[in-house]
Amino acid sequence: MTLNFILNGKNLSVETSPDRRVVDLLREDMGLSGTKECCGSGECGACTILVDGESRLSCLMLAAQLEGRTLLTIEGLASNGELHVVQQAFVEHGAVQCGFCTPGMVLATLDLLRRIPEPTREEVRRELSGNLCRCTGYQKIVDAVMAAARTLHGGMS
Amino acid sequence: MDVLFPRTLEELQKLRTETPGDLIMAGGTDLLVKIRKTGQKPTVIFCIERIAELQRLDVLDDEIVIGAAVTLQQLLECDTIKTELTALFEALSVLASPPVRHSATLVGNVCTASSAGDTLPPLYVFAAEVEIANTSGRRRQSIAEFITGPGKTTLQPDEIVTAVRVPRPVDGTHSVYYKVGKRKAMAIAVASMAARFELGEAGAIKNIKMAWGSVGPTVVRAIDVEAYLAGRSLSIDCLREAGRLASAAVCPIDDVRASADYRRQVTGNLLLRLARDKRD
Amino acid sequence: MLGNKNMQNHEVREIGVIAPRIDALTKVTGAENFAADLYPEGFLWVGVKRSDFPHANILAIDGLAASKLTGVTAVLTHRDIKGSNRLGIFEKDQPILADKTVRHYGDAVALVVAESKAALTEALAAIRVEYEPLPPVFDPEAALETGAPILHPTRPAGNVLIKSEIVCGNGAANLEKCAFQATVKIRTGWQEHAFLETQTGVAWMEEDETLSMTVSTQTPFRDRLELAEALGISPAKIHVVAPCLGGGFGGKDGVTVQGFLALAAMHSGGRPVKIYYSREESILAGTKRHPLRAEYTVGCDQDGVLQTLSCRLLFDTGAYASLGSEVFALAMEHAGGPYRIPNVSILGSAVYTNNPVSSAFRGFGVPQAAAAMEQVIDELAKAGGFDPLELRRKNAVRRGDTSPTGVLLTQTTGILECLDQLERHPLWRQRTKWGESAPAFKRRGVGIATIYHSVGFGPAIADYANAKLEILTDGKFRVYAGVSDMGQGNASTYAQIAGHILCQPHEIMDLVLPDTARTLPSASSSASRTTFTYGNAMIGAAELLRDRIRARAALMISFQLLHSVPIEEIALLPGVARHLPSGRSVPLSLVATMMDTSERTATHSYTCPVNNQPIASGENLRMHGFPHRVVTYGAQLVTVEVDTLTGETAVCDMLNCVDAGRVLNPQAYEQQVQGGAAQGLGYALFEEFAVADGRILTGDFSTYILPTALDVPDMVTEPVTPDEKDGPFGMKGVGEIGIDGVFPAIANAIAVATGVRITAETMSAEKVLAALRQTGQEGRP
Repeated sequence: MTLNFILNGKNLSVETSPDRRVVDLLREDMGLSGTKECCGSGECGACTILVDGESRLSCLMLAAQLEGRTLLTIEGLASNGELHVVQQAFVEHGAVQCGFCTPGMVLATLDLLRRIPEPTREEVRRELSGNLCRCTGYQKIVDAVMAAARTLHGGMS
Repeated sequence: MDVLFPRTLEELQKLRTETPGDLIMAGGTDLLVKIRKTGQKPTVIFCIERIAELQRLDVLDDEIVIGAAVTLQQLLECDTIKTELTALFEALSVLASPPVRHSATLVGNVCTASSAGDTLPPLYVFAAEVEIANTSGRRRQSIAEFITGPGKTTLQPDEIVTAVRVPRPVDGTHSVYYKVGKRKAMAIAVASMAARFELGEAGAIKNIKMAWGSVGPTVVRAIDVEAYLAGRSLSIDCLREAGRLASAAVCPIDDVRASADYRRQVTGNLLLRLARDKRD
Repeated sequence: MLGNKNMQNHEVREIGVIAPRIDALTKVTGAENFAADLYPEGFLWVGVKRSDFPHANILAIDGLAASKLTGVTAVLTHRDIKGSNRLGIFEKDQPILADKTVRHYGDAVALVVAESKAALTEALAAIRVEYEPLPPVFDPEAALETGAPILHPTRPAGNVLIKSEIVCGNGAANLEKCAFQATVKIRTGWQEHAFLETQTGVAWMEEDETLSMTVSTQTPFRDRLELAEALGISPAKIHVVAPCLGGGFGGKDGVTVQGFLALAAMHSGGRPVKIYYSREESILAGTKRHPLRAEYTVGCDQDGVLQTLSCRLLFDTGAYASLGSEVFALAMEHAGGPYRIPNVSILGSAVYTNNPVSSAFRGFGVPQAAAAMEQVIDELAKAGGFDPLELRRKNAVRRGDTSPTGVLLTQTTGILECLDQLERHPLWRQRTKWGESAPAFKRRGVGIATIYHSVGFGPAIADYANAKLEILTDGKFRVYAGVSDMGQGNASTYAQIAGHILCQPHEIMDLVLPDTARTLPSASSSASRTTFTYGNAMIGAAELLRDRIRARAALMISFQLLHSVPIEEIALLPGVARHLPSGRSVPLSLVATMMDTSERTATHSYTCPVNNQPIASGENLRMHGFPHRVVTYGAQLVTVEVDTLTGETAVCDMLNCVDAGRVLNPQAYEQQVQGGAAQGLGYALFEEFAVADGRILTGDFSTYILPTALDVPDMVTEPVTPDEKDGPFGMKGVGEIGIDGVFPAIANAIAVATGVRITAETMSAEKVLAALRQTGQEGRP
């Protein structure tokens, strides 16, 4: 089936089987391996992408559901060679270790900051509770998100 | 497998009579996990996310109507649910994880009909009804009668749940949802409890309804616990006795998450949280 | 390459300051390619058929029907393996594909190579295997009994992989003379690595018949040797590349999928092959942390001075040896904790069972030993009426002491400072107030643990690294990292070290990750040694290259000044070499073009000094790593709050006072401590790995519970930083110390909060509630 959707700002028309998982479509068919799979059953958040601005698990989405939607994957976040504030904060605050959870964590952060622009640390932990990390113990991720929130809220970018 | 997006309920029903071996998908967060686990793919999946009628979330004078395609996130953003159906709001807040809540639906949780489903104990105490469409028209059924066993409902092959309707409680209704899981997020309930009640003069309990999850084949109601608490207060002594009755009323099983004994014990203990969270 | 404008002013980040990691940039944009992310043109999928029994002889394997299915390229069995078909490090007892016997449910029996995942699934189901079931044994104590089923009949010692005894002083003889005594019997369970990137890789045959593979591995160089013997090919014909791993923690220390990749590549008709374990397969087939059963008795005199330790340790090593003997040896070495104990009797063994294979996992036996020792110390404190911290402080080792296992501690020994620091902290000083201010239906407690953890491989296995550093003709530098980076950031630290010595910003250095064709052998990413050993080697290489550059620049400036310029007058600064007296500079790019290719690359080999002292007992542990030389230390504290209604336990605060020598990069240091501590928290409270009759019941992430961001608190990390002369810039290695003490600290805190010590594996809510019931506190406000 042919699907028409917007991916990272570009209009796309993609031919694929309707039941293909979005995570496979991205990684295997479109060469966008920034979105990771690590459990395939919605329990880890590594496959998180933004669909119409909302965080969704791409391992639990079927290609057919993409019709008419706007997707953002990690590859589409930095623009014109500049990191997004959230990405910059992750780098500066040591929120990246092995890096496998990072794309999902960054996109989940975007969703969280859209809905709660000035979160507390506890709110950050709650909103990121669907994204597992095995390396960091989460603390520096929370540090990074709090710093990103301060930067964004201060109007700088 | 084919994935189709009917635009109307009629289209869906027509397609279903034409294609046997179908499955209905709303958010897919239970269905797709099940398909992965069992390896059994249906021939066709009907995804209802684009049926306008099923997207309705209506706050009417006496009830709230939640369409089958309404996501948990949408419900969390509904003020009326937060203030009037607080137990449901609390259950939604601890169900799965944020990205799952963006696509999972309440009706999906109901149709999965696991006794651990977080939305179920609140829906039971609020006396919710499911609204079902079939080839003859519509029917309604109380949620307690709709769910008949673990993963089992009265839904017939030609039927689809179109909405859950929840009567709006009277002013002054308190409600809570307590969940015990193996961690603070993304956890299947090991034991859970919903309660709704009013407090009369001197804190006397009125119109209390309670329901427990994960401690029986379906959500458990215990009339004798409600009868005991009626007219009494939220004191530790009363709640302890009510807890003893509740423990006796449930029939949990052992599984990889917890033993039946633990579940039974926690069932009774959870009542004491009402003393801790005492409202005046 | 992406970068922010403010990152273009790249600065030199000296050793000791925060230096963001080079790889963070590519990881945060999704540009970093892990082994999982490779999908070579025309690749075929590889899948594994696993055992239907925990213990059985294989009578027949019939892959014929499977091989004829559409989309199936090959079905392979042990018959397709030319070499020994035996994997392992010291004990090579594990087949790539089972030939005569299967010994656990995760054993691989056949391999399928197919066009699609669907064809793979169909073919795997169509393979028929005929088994003759054998009686299994799942209990390590039962495995030691006469008449127990024997897993490896060719071994003389039955199901014992290794056993040893360490005796010092009078052993246990004077235990009864101790004024105070305490005994603890505990069990710890399996722990799953649960790295987010599962075992995965790609492979293909080159035209010259070299087997090439890119795989998520902690041991690219050793893999070649392990594979060569097993497959019957020359190691020179095997090329392994190890990109950034999406986590390892010991679970990728050695061959995991490499044997499957190699076999498949040799039968794929020239096409590349890929294997990528699902989470379920990763849990089924991957190695785990060793479960331990231990009984510890410790005694002290009237004043709390430790006199005697008597303990027994029994490890369940599962179906194959893997690194079981090495884990055992490290646990034995650390069994007595960082204390002065003159009389010690330690008896231990690791036994085979038909359970999942246990092997390397961060901590490597020390978390298990500490789980026992640090709990019995608390019990002794209670028995004698001593403050648990004062008891530890009174007996803590100092430099020059002998450890309980007879190891002379010649290197920096910062445990006392760690304890002093912990003692000063409000979390310790206000522990009574914390306990007394529990809200309704909660109980609170504070628990501590002191641990130590030796770095490196011990006396018998060379702990070496070969650094390679190049200046390119554009003046940039290229670091050839020899040790896999599984998230510790060691590769970036190598660049930071080079940058420090060369006075260049490390962030713009080119990093080549381990590649057997380009980087040099530098041993495994393990044992807290990845920065220690390679870092020492890099210092040598960087100094060598620095002086070559300076010498060449001196020559060039000599021509300009028309007099000889000694090398001492040349300083390297970012991008240039400057002659200090005259102020003349030469860009490094120009200097580089004036250097011969052979001059532009500097290599340096470093092998760690070992502990040469003779050890009176435990001699058979020597080849497995006993004793070590450089030791890290720590004192950890947790505060817990227990729910009397449900037994749920929250860790509210954590304090890690750690001696890992000097801090090279405070951010990377904290990352390791926080990450290790979080894994320790999971080990203690959440990660209950359930196995019944050899079958894993917690086979996915809905049943094997990892802590989420809501389950791990903010932590305080306070480094104690003696200058360890053995280590690069005085550091020791901070990879593992952070996990070692968390389990007993939490157990001790729960014991305070509930009055009961939980001694059976994970301290789940259910067990804590049972403990509360025992002391009449269940349901109490």
